[in-house]
Formats: sequence, C-alpha cells, structure tokens
Amino acid sequence: MLAPKRIKYRKQMKGRMRGKAYRGNTVDFGDYGLQALEPGRISNRTIEAARIAMTRHIKRGGKVWIRIFPDKPVTKKPLEVRMGKGKGNPESWVAVVKPGRIMFELEGVTPEVAKRAMELAAAKMPVKCRFVERDGGGEG
Amino acid sequence: MEATLTAQLRTERGKGAARTMRREGRVPAVVYGHGEETRELALDTREIERLLSSISVENTLIQLTVGSEEPVRTLIREVQWHPFKPILLHVDLYQIRRGERIHLEIPVRLNGNPIGVREEGGVLQHVRHDLEVACLPRAIPERIEVDVSQLSIGDSVHVRDIEIEDVEILADADLTICTVVAPTRVEEPEPEEGEEPAEPTVVGAEEEEAEAVEEEVDRE
Repeated sequence: MLAPKRIKYRKQMKGRMRGKAYRGNTVDFGDYGLQALEPGRISNRTIEAARIAMTRHIKRGGKVWIRIFPDKPVTKKPLEVRMGKGKGNPESWVAVVKPGRIMFELEGVTPEVAKRAMELAAAKMPVKCRFVERDGGGEG
Repeated sequence: MEATLTAQLRTERGKGAARTMRREGRVPAVVYGHGEETRELALDTREIERLLSSISVENTLIQLTVGSEEPVRTLIREVQWHPFKPILLHVDLYQIRRGERIHLEIPVRLNGNPIGVREEGGVLQHVRHDLEVACLPRAIPERIEVDVSQLSIGDSVHVRDIEIEDVEILADADLTICTVVAPTRVEEPEPEEGEEPAEPTVVGAEEEEAEAVEEEVDRE
C-alpha cells in the first residue's frame, strides 16, 4: 500500500479541505481519467482497492496511473480511552482530494472497458466521481 | 485550416466584471502579439465553445474580427476552464504576423496497430501527445502523423525519427513519443492478513538519538 518512506513529523493537524483543485485537474498521462467532484480524504486502502478493481477489469494490457499520494497521517485514539492525554497514534495515510482532481488515469484499453473500470474504481471512492476523457468537453 | 471568430472590445476589468460577462453569455478574452498592444476582448460564449469543439485548439489559425476592424490572424494560446464544470473562463489569443516564425504545439497522432500489440500482446504507450515546433504561419501542420504499425515490444519512436518539411521541431531529439511495452502481470500476490505496513522513518530522529548518546558519553 502507498505510504511515505521518510517523514519529518509523525502527526499532522487535520486541516480543512477548502477550494477546488487548480492543479492536477486535466488528463495528462493516459487517455481516460477519474475526476473527483467533491472534496474528501482517500486512504491508501481505498486507493489500493480502486487500483485492484481497475486492473482486474482491464485484465491484461492497459496502463494505470495513480495521480494522488496518501501523504497525510491520520491518528486515532484507542478504544475505551477517555479524552485528553495527548493526540492518538498514527492509524492510516490519506490523500486530500479537492473537486476537480484527476485521481486515476488509464491508457491502452477501449473506451467501454475504461469506462467500466473507472465505474468500478468510483464505487470504492468516498467522493462523487466522473469519468473523463482527454480533451473531452473542456474538462480534459 | 482557418476559422473565423468575432469579438468586441471591452473596457471593464476584474473578477466582478468578468463574472457579470459570463452570466450574460460572454467570455472575457485577450489578444496580444509581437509588437502589438494588448487588448481586452469579449467573445460570445456559444460561438467560442462551438469553435473550440470543432478545431484543433493549439494550431488552427483564426481570423479574428474585433468590432468593425479588419480581421487579424491569431492563434489560441490558452483556454481556461473551470476545474470541474464545463464553464469557459477565459481565452488568450496570439496575434501573428506574416513571415514571422512562431512557436506552437502540434498534436501527435499514432496511426496503425503495432505488431507488438496485435501479435505479442503488448501495450502501446503514447508518452508525448504534443510536440513544440517553430514554423511560419503558412506551414503550420494540422497534426504530426506517426506510423506505429511496425513496432514490436520494446520498440519506440523518438522525436529524432520525425521530419516535417518547413517545420523545426524544438522538443529534445531523445524524447520518446510512443513505445510498445510488455503487458503488466494480471494480479499481484495479495499481502498477508494482519501484515503491518512498514513505519516511515522520521527525518531528524536518528540524529537526535545520536546526539543524546554523545551527551551521555561526555557526562561520563
């Protein structure tokens, strides 16, 4: 699963997910993409699940790009522990995604296969998504 | 290929004015060029959207008529869209002069089905979709056609393999345009249940520990 190799600090503040994705909002590598339409946190488990769903559907052939990286640690307090006594332990890694962000890209498959693969990946996502094509309708 | 476009001069600036224009069905635009004064324009949203969907945006000459002036030849330099809605925000037009070389990006089209894909089960990877070139306005190619039908697995086409008459390709000659790669494996082995992901190293923690040990040694 995706996770940083070296980090400067073990814990981060939660932050806010305001605004739109002004970068990374065009299909740059492949021919098809999956675009987020809402802000959200995508965990490394979710990214892995989506990747597996896509690669299983396209079987052999095709190439998948993952354009988000989970570089934000999320902490959690153990069960049945009272509040206080400091911040919890790092539990998982997430990628913060803003609306417009292209999360996955695909190349080397037919449009129908790409669309279905992206639908399967979108079903794993905690945000609303849209299938986009390169240079399609102004989004690409 | 040439297209036509009409525009009106605008005097209002700023985001408030731009938003009002977009609500009224117009798109803010700007035209500039070598030695020309920059002028702010307003385009009709429907007209420009129809134009953008019917042409190759980067390399189509456009006859731009501003108000009642004589038409000038321009190229679309940049189109700004909303990050995820189909809303056109702004258009940059670049006025060109006859006989002056211009730099622009030309789309690359791959023709044919490579042997490596057809018979060997490989995947054709299109790495570079546009190439930067310099040429005279009359010699602007519509697209760069690359025949890939003879490529086997491991073969690639580089920028140095392409030659177009009257056009200088500015991109690095060693850049890959496309390549046929072996297919990726179907499924990787699943990680075992309960396997702990490796903890990332915290930068600076090792040095701190080493310093602490040194201090202790000094004290002794």
